[in-house]
Amino acid sequence: MSLTNDQKIVLFRNLARAMALDRMMMRVIRAGKMVGFYHEGGIALAPGIAAGAFLQKEDPMWPHYRAHGLAHMLSKGIDIKYYVAEHMGREAGCCKGRSSFHMSFPEDHVFGFSGNIGANFPLSVGYGFAAKYKQSGQVVMNCSGDGSYGEGRCHEALLMSANWKLPAVFWCEANGMAQHSNVKDLFPGPNVSSLAAGFGIPSMVVDGQDLFACAEAALQALAHVRQGNGPIFVECKTYRVQEHSVGGVNYEGPNQRDPELMAKWKETLNPLALAAARLLAEKVLTQEDIDQIKADAEREADEVEAFCEASPKALPSVAEMQAAVYTA
Amino acid sequence: MSSQRELTLCEAIREAYVEEMRRDERVFMLGISIQAGTFPHTKNLCEEFGTHRVVDTPLAETGMAGCAMGAAQEGLRPILDFMYAGFSYFAGSEVFLQMGQYHFLHGSQHPLPIVMVGTCGVGRRVGNEHATLPYGMAIHHPGIKTCMPATPYDAKGLMKAAIRDDNPVLFLWHTNLMMHKGYVPEEDYVVPLGVADIKREGSDVTILASGLQVHSALKVAEKLKDEISVEVVDARSFEPFDRESLLRSIEKTTRLVIVDEDFERGGFAAEVSAQVMEHGYDLLDAPVRRVCHPNIPVPGGYIDVYTMPTSERIEEAVREVCR
Repeated sequence: MSLTNDQKIVLFRNLARAMALDRMMMRVIRAGKMVGFYHEGGIALAPGIAAGAFLQKEDPMWPHYRAHGLAHMLSKGIDIKYYVAEHMGREAGCCKGRSSFHMSFPEDHVFGFSGNIGANFPLSVGYGFAAKYKQSGQVVMNCSGDGSYGEGRCHEALLMSANWKLPAVFWCEANGMAQHSNVKDLFPGPNVSSLAAGFGIPSMVVDGQDLFACAEAALQALAHVRQGNGPIFVECKTYRVQEHSVGGVNYEGPNQRDPELMAKWKETLNPLALAAARLLAEKVLTQEDIDQIKADAEREADEVEAFCEASPKALPSVAEMQAAVYTA
Repeated sequence: MSSQRELTLCEAIREAYVEEMRRDERVFMLGISIQAGTFPHTKNLCEEFGTHRVVDTPLAETGMAGCAMGAAQEGLRPILDFMYAGFSYFAGSEVFLQMGQYHFLHGSQHPLPIVMVGTCGVGRRVGNEHATLPYGMAIHHPGIKTCMPATPYDAKGLMKAAIRDDNPVLFLWHTNLMMHKGYVPEEDYVVPLGVADIKREGSDVTILASGLQVHSALKVAEKLKDEISVEVVDARSFEPFDRESLLRSIEKTTRLVIVDEDFERGGFAAEVSAQVMEHGYDLLDAPVRRVCHPNIPVPGGYIDVYTMPTSERIEEAVREVCR
C-alpha cells in the first residue's frame, strides 16, 4: 500500500513533533520537574507514529511505553499537553495529577496505562470483543515491545484474539531489549512475531527506522483487520540506544552496552533524518520545509512545557480523593 | 402463590441474570464452561441469550479478566465468572491493581461496570484453591465492592444491584449454600450494596456473620434462646460495609462476636473489630471476639470441618463474651 505525499508529510511532521517532545521530556526530568519516571523514546519513535496514524477516534489504542506513548497519541490526534501535565503532577493532568505517567483519554478510546508490562494484552482482547459484540467496526491497536512477550497474559491474548477472530493489530516495537536484558537471551528465535504462527495469526517484520515502511505496514495490517480477517502481528525492528529508564546505566545483563555502538546507531539510524532524506530525494519537501517543520516542533514542545508549568500542582485532600475511588 | 415461591440460591442468581440481560443488552457473561453450566446458575442461559452473550473462554483467567475490563471500558457490562473464586488469583493484577484502582488513577473519568462472581467456602474437603474466600483480599484493595448473600432472596437482589452498579463488584457465594432454598419474589427488586440485615433480633449479644456462617449463627441463636438472646446481623456486603447498622445493634446488645470463614489474620473480622474499637468502644461491655479460619492453609481431606467456624465454636465465643 503506497502513501500519498500528503500522508508522508503528516507522518514526518508528527515524528518531528514526537522527537521534539521526547527531548523536552528529557529536559524536564533532568531539571527535576517531573514527578515520576520517564522512558526515553530516542530513535525508536517511527513505529509509534505509524501505529496511531490511520486510526479513527473510536478505535481503541494502547500505546507502547517508549516515550510514554507520546508518538502514538499525537499521531492519533490527541492533544498530549494534558498528558505531559500529568507527568508534572499538575491539575491540568489528564488523570488530575493522580498517576504521574498514565494517560486517560476515554473519548479518544485511549483508556489508560499500567505499570505492569503486558497488562494491555487482555484489555485489548476486551476492546476487540466489544467491537465484535457491538458490531461497531472498531479496530484495536495493541502496541507493545518485544520484552512483553515473556508475560503469560500476552499469549492468552493472542490465543483469545485468534480464536475469536478479533479485529486487533498486535503492533510490536521490537527494540531488542527488555529492561536490562537482551531479548536474544530471553527468547529462542530472532523474531517474537514467530509466536503468531502458532495461533494461526499472520505476521510481518518491518524496518522500524523507516517511518514510511512502518506506515505502509500499519495500513496493510488495518486493512486486513477491517476486512474481518482476525488479528495480525506486525513486528517493527527498532533500536534502544539509551538506558531503560532515565537515570540508570545502559546495561545488558551484567555488562554495560558498548557506548560507541550506541553512538553509531544514534548517528546513522535516526528515523527523522532517514525520512527527511527520502522526502528530499522524492521532492516532496524542500530543505526549507523540513527546517520549518522541525522549528515548529521545537516551539510546540516549549509551549507544552510552559502550559504545564502554568498549571498548579495537583494536591487534593484525602477526603476529596476518597470520594473519587468509586463511580457514584 | 408467588409469595410462597422458593428458589435455590443458584436459581435466584440465575433469575437475576435473566432479568438483567433482558433489560440491558450490554450485559454479557464470560467464563470457563458456563454454557454447559458447571454450576446451575448459568444452566441453559445460552438458549435464550445465545453463545455471543454467554461466552466460554479458554482456560485463561488472566485473559478472561482483562477481556472483561477492556469490554467494560468499551461500554459493555460484563459478568466475569471465575467458577471458584480462588481462581481469580490467576488474575490478581487485573482484579486488584487494575479493575479496582484504574478509575481513581485515571482521574475518575470512566466507569468500570464489572461483576466478578465465584463460589467459595470451607467445608467441601477439596483444599485451599476451591475454598479460599477472597473478600478479605478484596476489601484490602480500594475500588472493588464485595458482597456475599446468605439467602436466595438476598442473592437475587444483591446480584441485580451488582449488575446495575458502575463499579467492579466481587459477588461471592458459599458452595454449601448453592442448593439452599428460600423465598424469592418474582418481581424486580434490588438489595442495595452496603446495607446489612438483621436476620434475627436479640438483646444480649450481636453476632456479625455472612454467607453460610449466618446460618451457623442462627443455629446458635436458636439453641441458646432460653439462656442468651442473640442478634444475628448479616453483613451481606463487605465493601461498602454498613457500620452504622452494626453499631446500632451493639448499642442494644453491648457485645460482639464476628464470624468470618476467611483466615483470621488481617481479614474482614479484624477490620470490623478495629472499626468497632474506633467508633463504638464505649458501647461495648466485653472485648470483641472473632471466630475465623485459623491461619493455616485451608486443608482438604476430612480435616476442614475442624478448621472452619462451626456452631460449636460460635457458641463458645458467645458464652465467653456473655460471661
